[in-house]
Amino acid sequence: MRTRGGVLLANIIAGLGLGYTVTNIGFGDYAELNRMFTFQDLRMFLAFAGAVGIIVCVFALLRVRRTPGRIHAGVIPGAMLFGTGWAISGGCPAIPIIQVSSGYLPALVTLVGVVVGMRLCRWANGRYFQLDSGSCGV
Amino acid sequence: MSPYWPWWAGAVGLALVTIVHTLTTDRSLGVSSAWDRVLHWRSERELERLDEEFTDEQAFADALAAATAEHFGPGAGAPAAPQHFPGQHSPEQYSHAQYPQAQYSQAQFAGDQYPQEQYPQEQYPPVQYTRDDAPAAEPGPATAGSTPVAAPRPAPVVTQAALLVSILLGGWIAAYTSGRFELRFDMGAGFESLVTADPLIMTAVLFAGGILVGFGTRLAGGCSSGHGLSGCGRLRPVSLVATAVFFGTAVAVSFLLWKVI
Repeated sequence: MRTRGGVLLANIIAGLGLGYTVTNIGFGDYAELNRMFTFQDLRMFLAFAGAVGIIVCVFALLRVRRTPGRIHAGVIPGAMLFGTGWAISGGCPAIPIIQVSSGYLPALVTLVGVVVGMRLCRWANGRYFQLDSGSCGV
Repeated sequence: MSPYWPWWAGAVGLALVTIVHTLTTDRSLGVSSAWDRVLHWRSERELERLDEEFTDEQAFADALAAATAEHFGPGAGAPAAPQHFPGQHSPEQYSHAQYPQAQYSQAQFAGDQYPQEQYPQEQYPPVQYTRDDAPAAEPGPATAGSTPVAAPRPAPVVTQAALLVSILLGGWIAAYTSGRFELRFDMGAGFESLVTADPLIMTAVLFAGGILVGFGTRLAGGCSSGHGLSGCGRLRPVSLVATAVFFGTAVAVSFLLWKVI
């Protein structure tokens, strides 16, 4: 599956699986998301944390390599901006897509914002930040 | 009774998607990275074109060895008799003029980087595709302790576009089959009660939130799938820090929306 066609097929399957799963968990529902972030309902939080736990165990069993990954200057401010945006708009980059596919048409505005933000980040990094690793370019 | 899956079904579903994708493609799943590459598809295609010119690494190494031998004589540090395999190019096919060492050094090539002379730093930061920092292109299921292998190149941009379109389709199938699909011009009762019911303010908030998400995920180098699932699954320190920070911030802002604003 390392060929171009193989990666294409794997991405189609992963996309279908991710969209189907994330929608059925309820990540596209703003009320559910707020209940998760305010710990009123731990169902979605446990789904996410449980997934991470399973992945860690499977990767450890299969001895999948741990890549180091440098903590560069953009990680913390970037994650703070992302966390703020996720809490107020209800969307991480995949979620506005499934909100649109669930019929929430205003989520198209969130998608436009994501596009503008990403373009802005690449422009700002080249012009001002000059962060040396992993930011805006991966 | 919640209309959504129980937590354990969600956990198994998310884990399955991430594990299968990682093991089959040798790459990590990252939606924000896919977005970024699709948005900048012109430059990505140019990089892919350049990359395809140097696909055969053995031939490239042979060409470098031949050029070195031609320049400094045999035994000048280059392999005296490079190995050849059926179907590979011979070093005679690659002249020194074709591959000047000043432009494409072995170190640059081995790190999957691109010649900075042709691509200004503003557009292409020099460490754009290093194996440690690219969630969408990390070495995948290579086992710990095995012989180091070259990092796979970034997935072709068309496969990233396919991922995004498939998410849309997968979401629609889930919404339609569960009977939750409904075209609407609001974001639901939760958004109306916690944020705003005014359509104009809603549009502004969603746009601003989208900008923060787009800017933030690229600045942090990943999102909830790249850092949260794939990165934390690999126990990458950068992903653990990023996930803790974006979850913590989202918790704080959500409490503000719920209790204060």
